[in-house]
Amino acid sequence: MTPPLSPNPVAYRVADRLHTPAPWEVFGQRSRRYEVHFNGAVVEFLRGPLLVEGYGLRVFRLHEDKTGTGFQASTDSSEAGIILALAGAEAVAGHSTFPTKRIELPSSAATSPGLEILDSKLWDSPLPRLEEYVAALLAPFEPLTDALPSFGSVRATLSEISIANSAGFRSQYAETSMDLEVAVKAFGGPEGAPPGEYWVNGVERKADPARAGDQVPMWAQYARDARRAKAPPSGELPVVLPAVATSTILPGVVGFRFSGASRLRDIAPTPGSTIAAPAVTIQDDGRFPWGPNSTPWDDEGNPTGTRPLVRAGAAADLLYDVRHSGAFGVPPTGNGQRGLSFGRRDWLRFAHEPGIGPTTIVLEPGEGGSDAEVVEAAGDGIWVQQLGWASPDVLSGAFGGEIRIGYRIRHGKLAEPVRGGTVGGVVLGPAGTPTMLTNLALLGSTAALAENFSGPTILVKPLTVAGA
Amino acid sequence: MPDLRASENDLARILHRLERAASFADIMAESARGQSLRLDRRSTSPSSQPFFRGAAVRAWAGTRWVEAATTDLTAAGLDAAAESVERAVKASPARTPPPGPSSTTVAERMTDPPHPLSDLGMEGMIHLARDILGWASEVPTIKDTIVNMGWQDDERLYLNTAGARCYQRVTRARSSVVPLAIESGKVEFDFLGEGGLGGREQLDYLTEAKVKEVAESARELLTAGAPPTGTMTVLLDPGVAGIFAHESFGHGTEADQFVRDRSYLKPLLGQTVGPDFLTIVDNGAYPGGWGTIYFDDEGNPGQRTVLVDRGRFVGALHDRETATVLNARPTGNTRRADFVSRPFVRMTNTYVEPGDWKYEELVKEAKNGILLERATSGIEDPQGGQMQLKVKKGHVIQNGEQKGLVSSMALSGRVLDFLEAIRGVSSAKDFMIDPGTCGKGHSDTLPAGTGGAYLLSTAVVGPA
Repeated sequence: MTPPLSPNPVAYRVADRLHTPAPWEVFGQRSRRYEVHFNGAVVEFLRGPLLVEGYGLRVFRLHEDKTGTGFQASTDSSEAGIILALAGAEAVAGHSTFPTKRIELPSSAATSPGLEILDSKLWDSPLPRLEEYVAALLAPFEPLTDALPSFGSVRATLSEISIANSAGFRSQYAETSMDLEVAVKAFGGPEGAPPGEYWVNGVERKADPARAGDQVPMWAQYARDARRAKAPPSGELPVVLPAVATSTILPGVVGFRFSGASRLRDIAPTPGSTIAAPAVTIQDDGRFPWGPNSTPWDDEGNPTGTRPLVRAGAAADLLYDVRHSGAFGVPPTGNGQRGLSFGRRDWLRFAHEPGIGPTTIVLEPGEGGSDAEVVEAAGDGIWVQQLGWASPDVLSGAFGGEIRIGYRIRHGKLAEPVRGGTVGGVVLGPAGTPTMLTNLALLGSTAALAENFSGPTILVKPLTVAGA
Repeated sequence: MPDLRASENDLARILHRLERAASFADIMAESARGQSLRLDRRSTSPSSQPFFRGAAVRAWAGTRWVEAATTDLTAAGLDAAAESVERAVKASPARTPPPGPSSTTVAERMTDPPHPLSDLGMEGMIHLARDILGWASEVPTIKDTIVNMGWQDDERLYLNTAGARCYQRVTRARSSVVPLAIESGKVEFDFLGEGGLGGREQLDYLTEAKVKEVAESARELLTAGAPPTGTMTVLLDPGVAGIFAHESFGHGTEADQFVRDRSYLKPLLGQTVGPDFLTIVDNGAYPGGWGTIYFDDEGNPGQRTVLVDRGRFVGALHDRETATVLNARPTGNTRRADFVSRPFVRMTNTYVEPGDWKYEELVKEAKNGILLERATSGIEDPQGGQMQLKVKKGHVIQNGEQKGLVSSMALSGRVLDFLEAIRGVSSAKDFMIDPGTCGKGHSDTLPAGTGGAYLLSTAVVGPA
């Protein structure tokens, strides 16, 4: 259910007071944020409402065969504040150049039936809902004698987004999101080992107390296993990655390399070229149900949708925002995004100028069956549950990180836990070179959503593991 | 925009109002401005920092902190925030006093660079950036270069009900150069970057020779070998040594991790953890440091805190609450990323103090191993005592000599093992502080300096 939205949101108010030549656009945001921070089972800090109202104003100015872009964000929507922001944007536009003469802003708001991005219970009573969520999250820990949450937080953001531009586009929508962080610690026991930890960090659209504690037993087990884990072996090994691990590797590199920004640097894949194993099909889906980056319109007002990036191993389309679509004479793809970093959006989106960004990167499931069947196909290798930080390099495509918790695979079965050492490789490289995508040997049959990635458990054969 | 002191009467009135409801309250108001430039072969993208202005209003509610924040600094906006805080305080039945001592510091400090970067103006920055692009482009295979530079004034006014009043304006300047070498579908890069408190002088390192050197390095990375894998002798360059200090002893000594019983270091306080030539400090008062602050967000002065003193683990970083629990003093490390972010115990400039080795001596001492250069990222593991450091490039060390170039790597290992294996740190000649960004978890990012000199130890290395 959509909540009643302001009849005169910040973008419209600013737009009505702008006296400047077209083209221009205003992205407005009014957000309430609430946070519950806990230390063990004790709530140590209640925050909210954190009220932020701001806007990002962008003007486009043609200089010969190029376009200057001026952007200024502000939290001051008074008459004087708007004049100041406009002066700031105009001053910047005078110095800016981008290789296009064509800036086409959206002129009408498309409808967006059925896009679910708002948790109405969270919207209506945010702090009680968060407290209920935290209580439900902590409850499964109570009977455990060897595991507890050493700390954590839930942070809910309830936003009214409004967009207006000089082409007549005006639209607004509401959305919710919730960031969750929990450090689960395993301790005690006769073995005398130091404590182990599994660190959970994610973002969702909903705060559902009924599901809050579902994964606690699994998190506690990972923390227990971390206590007895040993370093993995070194070598070129088959590596199995569940969606939660792949989400830290794939979306960043794919989202950048399959974009107009890469095309501008002549480093985007050539359409039709083989860049992955034949079973690999990847798309960007801006309307993925409950996707943290799903919105009815992108942050420039263009309708979101689905874009094929890799089709049966071959490079397909690219992602564009307004400026890059102008540079290449192609339609925008609804991928103008603000404040995107490592797949997650800054909650203060208005403060960021839009650029091209992936929404939800969807790796289509394959025919590999269940996780157990994917593990069986690996034979002798490693299951990597969590990396320290894969931090993929979007330019070279290289990624890698420390194994925080994983499992040895022996004779097609999960065996003892492993931890420490590194696993790494290249997501996407020059034609003919082995990469994670070309070495993708098997895709499981069931997809899971992990932040801005949806995909199955995969087997990559091989990746480089540095261990004992 | 008027400076924050113009709103001081309204802020003080709110504090006075909260004084009646809570045993302690404070306000941190913030206003930021600045300019930055991003230039590459195809585009010139100057930008203004957001006009971002607001205040966080916090009170002690007997058993916990409660807080509201607003971008509306009018009397009505501040009253609404205060009302939310009052409601939350009333909902808590306990009336115990707040933890630890409340700051009573009254002072004003401002960065006053002799040549502010703002004086250079956008045209001056574009002119310099085009020169840099031109120098880099003279190197074969460099198809593009991304040049970033900019400055920011971060103005903060802290007031509390104990009488503290701290006004500061911190001016930071920063730049980076990233030449992109592209050949046969392969993309590689190297980078230069510096930053700190101050102005134009922060860009003085951007000479033609330095830019061409880093462009050459990017070109060479196109044909660099894969790094060796496994446990080996590692020589960290000063930037990588800084990330080591930050990820191992920085995050591990943030005392909120002690209170949560989440730091592997907690039981080691007072013990010897490394060689007697190893000293690690956090220093919020480091002159010109990227992470330098005049006051923290509880009104305590930025200061130097020794964490490891000649091999012995002696100190931690505290806010008022952790200092109370652990019988210590606040160390000026309570920082908010901005006025909508919560205060936490955070680092400022964390570094390994220089030793007395020469670089050449460390290479000889290493005999066979790997030199890790150009830190790109790191991540802590306060509970497990591991660390991950990533670098853009390195050189193989063979028979005590620096040899072939290898591409990006990750270092992994148990911090205590790494400390025990440290064999030397180079002298002050090599010391530097890099401008970094630090998160608490994956959020609340703020400027943090990391530094050191060359450092020799042993760790697991793999590709990344």
